[in-house]
Amino acid sequence: MKGHLSHDGEIVIKASDLSVSRGSTIVLDDINLTIRQGDFVGLVGPNGSGKTTLLMAILGLLNPTSGSVEIFGQDSKRMKHNGRVAWVSQAASNLPKNIRITVRELISLGVLTSKTMFPFFKNRKNIREQVENALELVGLKDVADVDIYSLSGGQRQRAVIGRALVSNAEILVFDEPLVGVDRDSRNSLLKLLDDLCHTQNKTLLMVSHDLAAIRQSAHRVIYLDLIQLNDCCRGGIQYDGPPSEFPDLLSLATLRGIRNVHEPEHIIISLKEGNSEPKVEEE
Amino acid sequence: MGISEFVLSILAPILELIGPFMPGNTFPAYFEMELFQRALIAAIIVTIIGGFLGGFLIMRNLALMGDGLAHVSFGGIAVGVALSSTAPLWYGLVFCIIASILIHEMQARELLTGDAAIGIFLTGTLALGLVVLRLWGGGITTDIEGFLYGNINLIDSDKLDLIVIVAIFALSSLYLLHGGLLATTLDPVAARLQGIPVRFIGLWFSVMTAAVVVAMVNVVGVLLVTSLLVTPAATGQLIGRSFKGCILWTQFFGLSSVLLGIYYSAELGTGGGATIALVSALMFPIVLTGRTVYTRFIRSPILNID
Repeated sequence: MKGHLSHDGEIVIKASDLSVSRGSTIVLDDINLTIRQGDFVGLVGPNGSGKTTLLMAILGLLNPTSGSVEIFGQDSKRMKHNGRVAWVSQAASNLPKNIRITVRELISLGVLTSKTMFPFFKNRKNIREQVENALELVGLKDVADVDIYSLSGGQRQRAVIGRALVSNAEILVFDEPLVGVDRDSRNSLLKLLDDLCHTQNKTLLMVSHDLAAIRQSAHRVIYLDLIQLNDCCRGGIQYDGPPSEFPDLLSLATLRGIRNVHEPEHIIISLKEGNSEPKVEEE
Repeated sequence: MGISEFVLSILAPILELIGPFMPGNTFPAYFEMELFQRALIAAIIVTIIGGFLGGFLIMRNLALMGDGLAHVSFGGIAVGVALSSTAPLWYGLVFCIIASILIHEMQARELLTGDAAIGIFLTGTLALGLVVLRLWGGGITTDIEGFLYGNINLIDSDKLDLIVIVAIFALSSLYLLHGGLLATTLDPVAARLQGIPVRFIGLWFSVMTAAVVVAMVNVVGVLLVTSLLVTPAATGQLIGRSFKGCILWTQFFGLSSVLLGIYYSAELGTGGGATIALVSALMFPIVLTGRTVYTRFIRSPILNID
């Protein structure tokens, strides 16, 4: 899939023959994936198509049935996490409700690693600078000392992104960051992500149902879906390429309708032929 | 062991110094007589650790963990009494730590949600304790009642030893782990990717809670542990706008509950544990009303706190 890359950076994530099963369903089947530094990869697919499973397997939080994932050339299962990879969850729904914490406190949690977890190892001045930088980057300097529950959903999401940025992580993994975020916040968030990618050469991996957002910002789209093969259900990458060639929503519906095809590649090819001029939804 | 005597020898002169300025007829005795000094010190130490821990318990949705573990400790204490042990509290401590580890593991493996696991251990060990007491322990004696409702005036140097050891253990662990604990509570996946040992911290926190609960049973009793563990933290969260602010307010409400509680119990002759718990519980609605009045009528009618 190298041809689809926007530029050639160092390989940061490499999945080889990765398979993950849940019960009798093979959620991910023989995934081979290479992600290079500076890439902005959008991960799309219907519910239950294994997007989160793929993220978890890549991050080494889930045991694959077979195959392996390497992050920075290290096996992700055995990798010592030290802040090179950061995770951004759906802030609005995932933060505990009964917690009082300011934006600054939340962001400074991102500095902690297994080494700097203990108070006496902290270089306080250094950390304060890092936190200020992150606050600036996500544009929350004005509300730094405000309780996160007094913020809007978009601001809260920015705070969680700030937490991921403060650690200087090279890979940022987003699980549906745009859920419940209004149009303006969404656009400024996407712009922030774009900046991170282009000016700081971060690698972004984002799961989203917001296809328009992915088209607008991502360099590369990976579409995951379960395909009915004979009588067992197999999931995997059904499309991997630039967003401009990604079939539109209508064709995706057709794609889901004609699952009983033996070779997944056929679908993509037939879709590509049918959509020589894909409609790009620009904001 | 002598730790408690060491602590007492340091704090007693200070207490004796402020004693004469204390109001009431009986209350100054808590600053002057050794027996009562021990009670006061125990209550204050337990409140301080409870305040630090309570915030985390509320954040982790484990507010009733303390209550559950207190009942578990009662089972252990009952077994200790039945075995005619001189220090039944240590049995309670062992029971509590085992139960807290099992509860944590059941949650981590998603066998049961937090509340259900706590419920099973709470009733199971309490029932075990009651049965054992009937069979071999001679029923509910005044000694046992002391453990149920707490009797701060019965805190001897052995009990204060336990409290001081638990306090040193809990405060030093919290000092070292508070950042990791907060990160784990907010977002376990992100914390794990940062390199924070999420599982270990969760387990350590459970063991710490168990130890603190047993220390608290001495002061307020099995049935009233939550009043010092969770109530001050909940009251503090009404006012605090940041994590640090909440902790400071929690300590303020916790310590004032204890001092007022002991004062009223001394003056009115009511039980220490129950009075402390009552004062602590009353503070919540008072602060809530105060906050509502403040935000509605004094600060600005437009700004809404939530």
